[in-house]
Amino acid sequence: MERQEAIDVLARSREGVVSVVTMQSVAPWHDAGQGEIDHIDATQCMGSASSIALGIALARPDRKVMVLDGDGSLLMQLGSLVTIAGAAPANLYHFVFANGLHQSTGNQPLPAQGVLDWCAMASAAGYRKAVRIEEAEDLIEQLPGIWATDGPVLVELVIAREEGEPRWAGVPMAGQVVALKERLAAG
Amino acid sequence: MTNAEPVARPVDAEAIVAEILKLGITHVICVPDTFQKTLIARLAELEVPRTLIVCTEDEAMGINAGLYIGGQNPMMLIQNNGIHASINTMKAIALDAKVPTFIVAGQFLRDATKPPEEQRARAVRLLEPTLEVWGVPYFRLEGPEDIGAFAQAYHRAHEDKGPAVVIVGTPTS
Repeated sequence: MERQEAIDVLARSREGVVSVVTMQSVAPWHDAGQGEIDHIDATQCMGSASSIALGIALARPDRKVMVLDGDGSLLMQLGSLVTIAGAAPANLYHFVFANGLHQSTGNQPLPAQGVLDWCAMASAAGYRKAVRIEEAEDLIEQLPGIWATDGPVLVELVIAREEGEPRWAGVPMAGQVVALKERLAAG
Repeated sequence: MTNAEPVARPVDAEAIVAEILKLGITHVICVPDTFQKTLIARLAELEVPRTLIVCTEDEAMGINAGLYIGGQNPMMLIQNNGIHASINTMKAIALDAKVPTFIVAGQFLRDATKPPEEQRARAVRLLEPTLEVWGVPYFRLEGPEDIGAFAQAYHRAHEDKGPAVVIVGTPTS
């Protein structure tokens, strides 16, 4: 599936879920109108999206938290799979956009591209559920069941290679920290 | 064998726990540190703050940010090598994103008979200069009389909305 297809499906089903988004999913998430409310971009921190999401999930067990991660990003802090599994937040949903590439730096291949199995890794780490989805129609069909499952859940979204220059949202993270903190404090 | 007088002297873990409780810390995000093993053991006995053992200091800074955003009052407990290892994440999250990041870092391999700038171990000798390069305030814990360093670093982190570090100069007792 295309990244934008997956983004659009996730945006339509979000319904108040707090979002943490990184790298090449940031601009499409903003394009889909999801960057203003209950949201933070994880920028310039090389793999920290899942850790930020874990912190929010632990702080606010009453709110679902979704992280839109990249496979290259997650490899940079791969231990976070184990940390998340150990903390076992029931409200954390980890979507990994998997194209096997470091898209932001020019589509260089990841180590073990085509060999690495995200669902097996997440399951072995101790995630409660891990599922691989290749088509947007399957994502539409499976999302209600995913949201109804206690986390941590990892969803590997197999996406197509994209060409062209990387896109950046350009929204300073510091302002998002303040806004999201205030939003969460309000309820 | 050396007869040199120690420059740094141990601080009782119980006294540090008392400082942490006074600050209202809710979570201690920890990558284990040899110098603070008595403190980590004591913290592990407590329900509050909750101790979270994580894999890397990069993760710790992200989790710290998420907990802070979610209304909690976290701190990090790591070692000097962990600060060196996580500078980029500190830059992005604590400095650029302006997240209060209260860090307590053990000076692993510190020779307690010498001041930090005379240390043979590079990770020890260069910790303070590294923090200075990045504009990160730090406070030395060289003995029981420095116990106020915890409150100083905590308040500095929250006032500046950035990182501040307590450097634990010798193993806690």
